[in-house]
Amino acid sequence: MSDNGLHMQGIHKAFGGVPVLKGIDLTLRPGEIHALLGENGAGKSTLMNILGGILHADAGEISIDGKRIQMTDPRVSQQAGVRFIHQELNVVGDLMVYENIFLGAEWTDRFGFLRVEDMCRRTVELLGKMGATIHPKRLVRDLEPSYKQMVEIAKALLTDAKLIIMDEPTTSLTSYEVEKLMETMRTLRDGGVGIIYISHKLKEVLQICDRYTVLRDGQLAGSGLIRDTNEEELTRLMVGKSVGNEPRKETVRAEETFLEVSNLSSGKWFQGIQFALAKGEILGFTGLAGDGRTELFEAIFGCRPYTGEIRVKGQQHRLRHPRQALAAGIGLVPKNRKENAIIKDMSIMENLSLTALKNFQSKLLLDGKKESSAFERYRELLSIKVADPNLPIVSLSGGNQQKVVLAKWLEADPEILIFDNPTQGIDVGAKAEIYQIITELAKKGKAIIILSSELPEIMRLCDRVMVMYQGEITGELIRQEVDEETIMLYATGVKRGKQAG
Amino acid sequence: MMNLPPTAQNTKASSWKARGQWLWSEYSVIVAFVVIILIASMLDSHFVSLDNLTNILRQVSIIGIISLGMTVVMLSGGIDLSVGAVLALLGALSVSVLNATQSVLLALLAALAAGAIVGSLNGLMVTKGRIPSFIATLGMMASARSIVLYFAAGGSLSGKAEGYTVIANTEWLGLALPVYIFLFMTLLVYVLMHKTRFGRYVYAIGSNEKAALLSTIRVNRVKMGVYMLCSIFVAAAAVVESSRLNSISSASSGLSYELDAIAAVIIGGTRMSGGRGKVIGTFFGVLILGVLNNMLNLMNISPYLQGLVKGLIIIAAVLLQKKEQQ
Repeated sequence: MSDNGLHMQGIHKAFGGVPVLKGIDLTLRPGEIHALLGENGAGKSTLMNILGGILHADAGEISIDGKRIQMTDPRVSQQAGVRFIHQELNVVGDLMVYENIFLGAEWTDRFGFLRVEDMCRRTVELLGKMGATIHPKRLVRDLEPSYKQMVEIAKALLTDAKLIIMDEPTTSLTSYEVEKLMETMRTLRDGGVGIIYISHKLKEVLQICDRYTVLRDGQLAGSGLIRDTNEEELTRLMVGKSVGNEPRKETVRAEETFLEVSNLSSGKWFQGIQFALAKGEILGFTGLAGDGRTELFEAIFGCRPYTGEIRVKGQQHRLRHPRQALAAGIGLVPKNRKENAIIKDMSIMENLSLTALKNFQSKLLLDGKKESSAFERYRELLSIKVADPNLPIVSLSGGNQQKVVLAKWLEADPEILIFDNPTQGIDVGAKAEIYQIITELAKKGKAIIILSSELPEIMRLCDRVMVMYQGEITGELIRQEVDEETIMLYATGVKRGKQAG
Repeated sequence: MMNLPPTAQNTKASSWKARGQWLWSEYSVIVAFVVIILIASMLDSHFVSLDNLTNILRQVSIIGIISLGMTVVMLSGGIDLSVGAVLALLGALSVSVLNATQSVLLALLAALAAGAIVGSLNGLMVTKGRIPSFIATLGMMASARSIVLYFAAGGSLSGKAEGYTVIANTEWLGLALPVYIFLFMTLLVYVLMHKTRFGRYVYAIGSNEKAALLSTIRVNRVKMGVYMLCSIFVAAAAVVESSRLNSISSASSGLSYELDAIAAVIIGGTRMSGGRGKVIGTFFGVLILGVLNNMLNLMNISPYLQGLVKGLIIIAAVLLQKKEQQ
């Protein structure tokens, strides 16, 4: 009996000498829903990519139904009955349901014509297995997200699937749709299919899963039966002891309020947001993916329509363009540097001067001398390591690129600076430098907002932390109250603080 | 800790390499131009005569002026297909105003003002209407051509006033006035694109519109400016074109000029998707096209084959750009 199902044993994996997985065991019995839990970067996706044949383990064994399998290739994994359902749906909206399910594996007759009727019949069968009735010739575009997900699952079931990996399948679903997905999962389980369920939403995990495995920093933090555990224990296992980062020493807080936001809403992204930010304060915003914090600050930066009030230094503003936000004294260092912050065809210096280009004019023409002297100033101030400021920005390392983006905003000199994920893709050394710069800015009297899902970062920098869950602020913590467990409880919507309502 | 020594070493070496590649990708069109000139002078001794060279310059000046505007549009990540048809429309307008008022100045001003209006229509469609520039200006192209055809009943409009032909047919120091206009406008666009905020913003938008917006650039306003500038340049070209023969043909004037202008811009090294390219590249791109046409004429090659040569050159130029990007 113990041979049935999936066994992964002693899986090791390192990237460039840095171990990511350190001897992980995972067992999945047929007809079981198994939760794979862990914070971002704990090693969940690496483990699943090894199972899917996308990555190769450095050491360890994988066997399915007692047969040892070398997962050398995604196709080997597929043949062994492993199916991957990714977080973002891979369906083609302009094709019909049956066309999607058979995409790349169409049934044809001996003349090469499509056997449409047979495929439709099979589609009805497959969807029926999940208790769904969707007409096979409907366009996928017109389906609800939960049905799209079913189409995706049906695609996985088309050929003999033993094991389905679902990577955060519920992030884009409403609670009603989540309910339907869970029914589908139960039906599949009762049919003998094993499911590995990756999710941050512990409530759902407790509701649907049979067993769990928690990873932390590439190690097994715990595993067992869901019915023997609870949210608090799972959270503790995921977070572990907090990392020994010395927090920011002094807390300077003037009484002057720089930014006041009240009753701010924007469609489905966020509702009823209310907070205030004082001079010299560092305020953190955290939460899980899809919590709406990025959208919230896009609105405050004038990139997204909103309803509600934004006051800067007591004066109300209607912000419809980033230029107006800057004029009001708000700056934003966006996340995803490559897409949102750098102009990759431009030189380092041109990137730096872009936002405050007015400062670099003599009469009506741009003055290269002013640009390079400003560049020298920031090179020293932020210790940007660069050979020649006329080189393209992409020749710099991630950390130095981020410093140039920072310099761009320092030159524009807003009083309120918002940092969205400021240390994304940056190595440890540069990270510490960026933290140092941010702390200095607050000391000099700027008001700072940090958006981050990295809790150590939040804990190290912030005076106060707002936790968001599905577009609402669920908790407000002052520095002394901040610990990872509490934040997790708010971020998963388990607990709601004084602000909620 | 472990990252410092290797990056410090690498930056020196890779900086020279990156620099070299950058220089080549920015200025390869000048090298190509020199090579073509050398080949042309070897093939035909008549080519290098002063007469012939000034003749080439005069021939390319109208396409040249349009190409400058096209460069700005393409650097911003857009395209303007309407230039040829709008040239016919504005030329007809200019000639009509001339005939009605007998004033060369008023004709010129009317063309420029109408150019600004056409450009702002294109700009509005692209910014407020969120229509891709290819489609918006395609619509403008069809409409403008149709209006001018209706207006002139399919025929030509001729100037009936003194002095209009002076614009295109005056010569100073052996060069025709349109050549001076072309050179002056090249200089103007060069300064605009490389020395002013507007130019910097155009490059930024063409390279990464989202990042440009988040850098607080007023993207829509800049784009409006881009399309207006292009159409105003077309207006200038329209005046030159109509004054050259003192008439404009509603059916054939400006026909496929958009293709020649786009070709010159592409040969000049401007990237189709925007954000990269140089005004000076377009200048030489225009000259390369002019020299090629001239060579084919001198060598008595059928004019029907000239399109083929142009086509091959464009494809070769784009292939070369692709290579550089890899």
